[in-house]
Amino acid sequence: MNPAPFLDIRKASKDFGSGPVLDGVDLAVTRGEFISLLGPSGCGKTTLLRIIAGLAAADGGSVTLDGQEISRLPPHRRDVGVVFQNYALFPHLTVAENIAFGLRAKGAPAAEIAATVERFLTLIHMAAFADRSVRALSGGQQQRVAVARALATKPKLLLLDEPFSALDRKLRETMQIDLRRLLRELGTTAIFVTHDQDEALIMSDRIAVMNRGQIEQLDTPEAIYARPATPFALEFVGLSTRIAGTVTGYDPDGFVMVETALGAIRGRGRFEVGSPVLLGVRPERIRFGTEGGANVAAPVLTDIVFQGARIQAHFASPDQRPVMIETSGALPAGLAPGIPVTISFAVEDTIAYPLAAA
Amino acid sequence: MMRFLPRDRMLWLAAPALLYLAFFYAMPLIYLLGRSVIGPNGPTLSLFASFFADEYNWRVIGNTLRIALLVTLVSLIIGYPVALALARARGLVQVMLLTAIILPLSVGVVVKAFAWQIVLRRDGTIAKLLVATGIWDEPQRLLFTEPGLVIGAANVFLPFMILPIYSVVKLIDPRLSEAGATLGASPFYRFRKIILPLTMPGLISGMAFVFSLSVSMFVIPSLLMGDRFQTLATLTGRSFLLMRNEALGSATAVVLLVLAVSIVVGSTILSRRIGRTA
Repeated sequence: MNPAPFLDIRKASKDFGSGPVLDGVDLAVTRGEFISLLGPSGCGKTTLLRIIAGLAAADGGSVTLDGQEISRLPPHRRDVGVVFQNYALFPHLTVAENIAFGLRAKGAPAAEIAATVERFLTLIHMAAFADRSVRALSGGQQQRVAVARALATKPKLLLLDEPFSALDRKLRETMQIDLRRLLRELGTTAIFVTHDQDEALIMSDRIAVMNRGQIEQLDTPEAIYARPATPFALEFVGLSTRIAGTVTGYDPDGFVMVETALGAIRGRGRFEVGSPVLLGVRPERIRFGTEGGANVAAPVLTDIVFQGARIQAHFASPDQRPVMIETSGALPAGLAPGIPVTISFAVEDTIAYPLAAA
Repeated sequence: MMRFLPRDRMLWLAAPALLYLAFFYAMPLIYLLGRSVIGPNGPTLSLFASFFADEYNWRVIGNTLRIALLVTLVSLIIGYPVALALARARGLVQVMLLTAIILPLSVGVVVKAFAWQIVLRRDGTIAKLLVATGIWDEPQRLLFTEPGLVIGAANVFLPFMILPIYSVVKLIDPRLSEAGATLGASPFYRFRKIILPLTMPGLISGMAFVFSLSVSMFVIPSLLMGDRFQTLATLTGRSFLLMRNEALGSATAVVLLVLAVSIVVGSTILSRRIGRTA
């Protein structure tokens, strides 16, 4: 029997008047876990975050944190820290005063405040900036101060709302790893909202893929990448080659057989004969040439895209969906746009999803 | 060779206004100042010496400062919450609130003062209301009393308190208060440590506006208090218009000017200093 989850969200729902933004979301988080809410803008991830923090009221459902139902508590009694997207640092206070704010509000003794502030200034490598105005800081420094300010009160749960979105790419990558390490050292349970799949894959213990007010899949980054549960998860997390077709039957091994514009393709899934499906496969799982027992097709090459460590080959798509190969090896000789190229991909790597008749 | 930076050239935009003020405002003012320090036998401060020697004039200065302070205080207490609400209001509500605040400015101050005469009378709205709610046993007259003057003046000058505060509050990121809440700060602590310091520049300019308006108001005390109660402004007016005592009028005008200017300059410096540390 599993112990009760540290954070337990049941049937959280919210409607701002133009359809549900959150549609009965359940989410259970273990102590010390780092969970990402991943989805496009408008999927409800920020609303869910604000409901957990108490900054927005849910229409229904409950939030339980560390055994205590907190749904009715105002934000300042919840012990849930938040790092805001624009950091929301107090412009009239210095770096040290920003970090001290929560402890002062709670009436902590002066000695404890001073020690905590100093510890966090060291942790975020900003001891030299203690008495600076936060307005004089760079974006990356502001972000670190915002994290330190939220952690200084030792919240039971830390919520982060796209804290890297304002930073440039290079800085973002080092800061993601730094933040991950800091939270692990402190043993902080964290929920992280992002629309950036790379960020979610790098940082999370588990990812909740959100779409239209619901969690479509909640699993480890590896599992979500290898076995996306829905066409949305397939499309949103990582690149994918996708092609639509109609189920014609099953082969002796139990794989579903689908007739597509690229010929007959087999994959995993259970569907009635005749139903429309979408087949998806990761581009790096596709190879040039034929391979025994694998799906084989010969689409027309349209473009080769060099990306440094990786090279993508794009093919003419019979139904406007992307068909591509991603490889880190050398391309076969004689590839040229306009020529059909034989490609193959394992049946196990091909997943069939129900396709709503458009 | 000195070269003008674009920022320096921008300063020329203020030139027309400066010329206008210098010619039509500063020159008569200097003339007035001259009248107060130049006697028949050359420069003298005797006018001020005799002005300050008269105990009655000290009472006039006291009246002026007391009323101005009270009006500023009442406007602040009523106006600050309104400015906060106005900044959080959205759409039609905000438009209606803003209209309700700005529209009364188009009604002349004489009209408003007469309206307040009706409201403050013994059989006026306020007296009736206070008797009906049982706060007063019998109707009393607020007209020609200091509370009546403060109530009336605060009403007239309220927009000058609300608008500067509103313009500062609406620039404050609402996330700041939310961030304070998630850090465990109660609503009152958030107000004290976030909202109040960040709105301080607006509070100071609002208070400077209302104070300088009420320290120099003439029509409102004339109509709501009558002749027995004098402030520096009404005394200046009486000296010139009724008593034909230009010397006394110049002296009171200069005292009033020095008071008002020091308040405005002082508050500007204060708000700049707060703005820098804030």
